Amino acid sequence: MRTRAKAGGWTTGRRRLALVLLLLGVVFAALPAHGYAGPGAGFAVLSSFWTLFLAFFYSLYAVLSWPFRQLYRLVRYRNAYKNARFPRVVILGFDGMDPELAERYMREGRLPHLAKLREQGTFRRLRTTSPPISPVAWSTFQTGCNPGKHNIYDFLARDLGSYLPLLSSAQVKGPRRRLRIGRYSVPLGKPRISLLRRARPFWHWLGERGIFCSILRVPVTFPPEKFPGVLLSGMCVPDLKGSQGTFCFHTTRAGSNGRCEGGVRIPFQREDGLLRSYIPGPDDPLREAPGKELRVGFTVRPDAARGHAEIETDSRRFTLRIGEYSEWIPVKFKAPLGFSAHGICRFNLRQLEPEVEVYVTPVNIDPQRPDLPISHPLTYSTYLAKLLGPYSTLGLAEDTWGLNEEVLDDGTFLAQCYGNHADRERMLFDALEKTRRGVCVCVFDTTDRVQHMFWRYLEPEHPAPGRNPKDSGPDVIGDLYQRMDALVGRVQEQLGENSLLLVVSDHGFKSFTRGVNLNSWLRQNGYLAMKSGAELGGEWLQGVDWSRTRAYTLGLNGLYLNLEGRERHGIVKAGAESAALKQELRRKIDGLADPPSGRVAITGVFDRDSIYAGPYAGNAPDLIIGYGEGYRASWSAVTGKVTDQVFENNTRAWSGDHCVDPRLVPGVLFSNQKIAEEKPGIVDVAPTILHLFGLPLPAHMDGRPWKVEPQGPA
Amino acid sequence: MKPRTSPYENAMNVSRALRGGIPGTFLWPAAYSPLLLVLAASVATGLLIVLIFRYTSDQKAIRRAKDQLQAQLLAVRLFQDQLRVVLRAYPRIVVGTLRYVRLTLVSTAVMLVPVILGMVQLDRYLGWTPLVPGRAFLVKVRVAAPEALQSVDLRLPSGLSRTATPVRIPAENEVVWRVTAEREGRYQADVVVDGQRFSKEVIVANGLARISAARWRGHFWRRLLESGEAALPQGAPVEAISITYLPRTLDLAFAEWNWIIVFFLASMAWALLFKKLLRIEI
Repeated sequence: MRTRAKAGGWTTGRRRLALVLLLLGVVFAALPAHGYAGPGAGFAVLSSFWTLFLAFFYSLYAVLSWPFRQLYRLVRYRNAYKNARFPRVVILGFDGMDPELAERYMREGRLPHLAKLREQGTFRRLRTTSPPISPVAWSTFQTGCNPGKHNIYDFLARDLGSYLPLLSSAQVKGPRRRLRIGRYSVPLGKPRISLLRRARPFWHWLGERGIFCSILRVPVTFPPEKFPGVLLSGMCVPDLKGSQGTFCFHTTRAGSNGRCEGGVRIPFQREDGLLRSYIPGPDDPLREAPGKELRVGFTVRPDAARGHAEIETDSRRFTLRIGEYSEWIPVKFKAPLGFSAHGICRFNLRQLEPEVEVYVTPVNIDPQRPDLPISHPLTYSTYLAKLLGPYSTLGLAEDTWGLNEEVLDDGTFLAQCYGNHADRERMLFDALEKTRRGVCVCVFDTTDRVQHMFWRYLEPEHPAPGRNPKDSGPDVIGDLYQRMDALVGRVQEQLGENSLLLVVSDHGFKSFTRGVNLNSWLRQNGYLAMKSGAELGGEWLQGVDWSRTRAYTLGLNGLYLNLEGRERHGIVKAGAESAALKQELRRKIDGLADPPSGRVAITGVFDRDSIYAGPYAGNAPDLIIGYGEGYRASWSAVTGKVTDQVFENNTRAWSGDHCVDPRLVPGVLFSNQKIAEEKPGIVDVAPTILHLFGLPLPAHMDGRPWKVEPQGPA
Repeated sequence: MKPRTSPYENAMNVSRALRGGIPGTFLWPAAYSPLLLVLAASVATGLLIVLIFRYTSDQKAIRRAKDQLQAQLLAVRLFQDQLRVVLRAYPRIVVGTLRYVRLTLVSTAVMLVPVILGMVQLDRYLGWTPLVPGRAFLVKVRVAAPEALQSVDLRLPSGLSRTATPVRIPAENEVVWRVTAEREGRYQADVVVDGQRFSKEVIVANGLARISAARWRGHFWRRLLESGEAALPQGAPVEAISITYLPRTLDLAFAEWNWIIVFFLASMAWALLFKKLLRIEI
């Protein structure tokens, strides 16, 4: 055996040698003869050496010009780090990490790294914003201002003319001008995207002083603003359709087409053992009127016997087993006249028998060639994609609606969450490598999404688990906290001496067992009226008679008066009448009890005039509702439905929440240094960072810097 | 003594016979213009290049290697104020380039063989201009030994005639005749040395024709790349017979170009197009 192998090997070796010699002969003999190396070799050589040449040129430029740029920076910034208390500050944002759970798991010895921070540095509850919602709290985090100055009060704002909801953080409009060519309306220019968050994030102030910042996935940073640093936008980045995430679910099941919450169900077309369907994309850019969407087709060849299916899109062909996710698949939506939009999505084969079902994630903006700006500089998202591979760019990347609608099961949802989380970790460690001095901020959403969807596992009496079998193990949230703790440990290993590490969350978490529909309460109590003959249950306040309506709710925590001169059909006069109405509503709603149990569903109603101050306070809801523990705005209420029930059980997988009374859900603050402040707030983070780098505090900031005492490495 | 022919020579002769017949069928574009032939050949070459890459390379690994390279380039651009990042990126770029070259090595090597052979054949048609009736040209004969210089004679067929006495250059072992053609045609000129006769093809034509500028003894690679005729026999007293054809140029964009430059650029452009259309990583 050995001899044969040896002989075989020798023969192969000779063949290889002969081949190499022949090729060398061809190449070298060819060279003198009219440059016969030809286009083939030229093509390969050009591809590689062009890159090398470019790299060399760039590097040489960077190295040679570095002293001059440093000199320029020295003159301009007068040694930005001279007054810095710490040369590097790293902020890990764990969206929704709850202090009570953290304490519990630390007590149980499951979070050794966070416990070490608590012992050697700091652990505090971090005061959140009112309302305690991520876009609001993270806007306050980055600007150091109350919402009256940054203008973000919820995920949604309302159109004063139509009473319809608008995204509160960003506005995307079509190009200003169009050229009509036959049946096409060609856009002249790019879409107009504007950030509705006001006030400057602290990294702008730092960047102006020459302090480098790497900012990853902080909410409400879309579209990205220019500043001297790098930033990847986070929560509120839309998908390619322009929504906050629309999955699609393809099935052979009869009668299953149409919209569902957060997604669309699309039936497969059968064709000779092949199933055909499509991924819905953005609206055709050559039509002014919305409604005609672009599509990308794909086919599925199921093989039930082997438990897999072969899926083919216009760019890839791949095989998936049941429950398995594909890698990120690029999709290109083509419109006439050469217009196109580039996205990426992942496929998941849900089942093959008795029906074939395929889930497709929302189509994310392709980070390698973004059609909308999702990073600053624009090439930063490309850089990350080239370095680490494609990644989710959607603001709400984890498809909670997919699980809510039972299109995904617990395990598949978790796999999606932790896939995104792993990408984020790789980005963080690259940013840490690139940010040896300055500030590095990275926000992880996994903590928020997993707690939202798996809180039911913490409470045996929660109404949700009945519909959602515990197929992902009993301790999903404990496991989540352990993962985050391990991440903190790995980050600490990367940090040198004299670095400040802050671990912050924007809010904590509570159970969500009962929903409250305040529009229904307002109707029952005579503050909201329906048009004669209008049916209850229409979305977005459909059928409301505005001429007889004095108050309404929209979004998660806001209650609005139908104010004359502000709302299009307002009837409540500003001044004494509105003040009296607010008082009346506060008196009646505060302490509202849930009839079956008698539990208090609303523990606080806050007048905007007493909690907000600033140029944009006028855009705030008139009253902010603080729900009690276990309660939140019901699913029907957040979509603007008026029903005949005020209270309802929450039976969805989305079983934990934080849109409650802010006093109930503080966030966490861990640090590797001693922080003297006893009652820190998320509003203090921005001024603290500026203070630590020796910058004067802008007068408009509401937060106050903490006293940080270096203790050496934790 | 009958001249000895090696197995290589035999193989070359067979290959030559095949090559002589096949191209004629595919050279119809040349009837219109040499440029058209170059462009048609570049389309085929461009397609061939990308297909060879597609089937002989690890496409996923190439994509990854290119991405890594581009990431390091972008890092240099994005973090140019941080000397440490730039200095760390540069060796990574070099390593990445070497990785990329390694991944493309097999494909490049495989691709070179057909492309080079194809170009050699094209060069027969596009490298030289045929002789023109009435315009003098030179026939050069290089002999193996200086003693043979005096006994070399050139026998021309009807239609070709000498216009001067031969010039013998002992330093080069070379004899040069000036010859003129009276009319177009494919001729065989014979060189006679010590009673042995060696022929050389002479093409007088208007337009495109398959031309062999020289006939060699030995010189395997040179014959492979430059000659279109059978080798002179091993041990023959003549080393080479050559004709001074004028090099051909292509008129393009108000300039004269060597066909190889046009072919090089055009086939690269086609390859880039096919690469995009067929989604092939190169």
